[in-house]
Amino acid sequence: MKNKHLIYIYFLTLILFACEKDDICAEGSAVTPLLILTFYDETNPTEKKTVDNLYVVGYNSDNQIVTFASTGEETRDSILVPLRTDVNITKIGFHRDYEIDDNDTPDDTSDDIILGNEDLIDFGYTRSDVYVSRACGFIANYLDLVSNLEEDSDNWILNTEIIKENVENELEAHVKIYH
Amino acid sequence: MLKYIISTSLFCLSFLTFAQNDSIPQDSVKYKNKYGLRVGSDLGKLARTFLEDEYTGFEINADYRLTKNIYIAGEIGNEEKTTSTDFLNSTAKGSYFKVGIDYNLYENWLDMDNMIYTGFRVGASTFTQTINSYTIYDTNAEGIWGQTTVTQPIKFSDLSAIWGELIIGIKAETLNNLYVGVNIQLKGRVSEKEPDNFENLYIPGFDRTYDSGSFGIAFGYSLSYRIPLYKKAK
Repeated sequence: MKNKHLIYIYFLTLILFACEKDDICAEGSAVTPLLILTFYDETNPTEKKTVDNLYVVGYNSDNQIVTFASTGEETRDSILVPLRTDVNITKIGFHRDYEIDDNDTPDDTSDDIILGNEDLIDFGYTRSDVYVSRACGFIANYLDLVSNLEEDSDNWILNTEIIKENVENELEAHVKIYH
Repeated sequence: MLKYIISTSLFCLSFLTFAQNDSIPQDSVKYKNKYGLRVGSDLGKLARTFLEDEYTGFEINADYRLTKNIYIAGEIGNEEKTTSTDFLNSTAKGSYFKVGIDYNLYENWLDMDNMIYTGFRVGASTFTQTINSYTIYDTNAEGIWGQTTVTQPIKFSDLSAIWGELIIGIKAETLNNLYVGVNIQLKGRVSEKEPDNFENLYIPGFDRTYDSGSFGIAFGYSLSYRIPLYKKAK
């Protein structure tokens, strides 16, 4: 019976369909991008300049410190920070020469003094959610990025420049910071 | 029915004994096929409507016998299905119809009238999709800023799709003119109207879509009744 073969082909196709993995958000699919900041020399604006012992934190709506996983103290010339998706502004603190003076009591953190100089920058943007897939849903992009350096008595950051207004991927730096 | 068969057979047999010397053997009984319009509903969709919170559906199916093995067939229906994943919850709602041909592959014995069939359909659907809520997929937000869930519904209207189907199934006559059937439908989308910044996750009549392409699959469980119109010799 010739038609039998047809039936087998149908069932074979069925088995192939059963192998779908559509409901798991696969690694490698598009993600909500981090903001990439690079540090440049104010006196020589085309040259990158490292920041000694840079420590970066965020501030939430109650002005409490939020620590990031990968922004621990380190001398570096660029850094990636996550922006908030719940509001259209993210406050980031940039600590230069970060060091904790534990007053010779390593076990007691109450008398610790944080050394160095912290400057605050507010990043403002419009959030735009982009559809990725059934399993991943939507990611956020940040459009029309603006930055505002908060003035204090001793700013180590001298200027900021937005080089990519729309934060849509992590392929290149979005902001230059001059110091 | 059986009584009828036996008595007719015996009756004919008696003729045969009398006609033993005739040179041409004759067919003892001529069985007839019933022709008519068969109308039914998809029991699977009804059951899911009662059992599943996220599904409501109803389908009327019909076929009309053209020749011994060829039927013109079609379905019309309505479905509402909510698809929810870790980050996304959306509802598709709309109507569909399908028309095509069923071809019976099964050679029935005596006057039985069952089907093992294959067929094709052309299907079309118009529907809406609503994103009920979504959580922004942000691998960096966990434990830092926290995840953001958008609960403002977003509705996409005037969506549509056209597809082709290959069907294989069986229909068995359980009571006089009452049929139960099971079938598998393999589908391929020919065209569809998709929303901006979203996609058609579920299409009424087509069932769910897959990331890998325009193919789909669905099952049908039908209960149908044949309104007999006339009989014709096999």
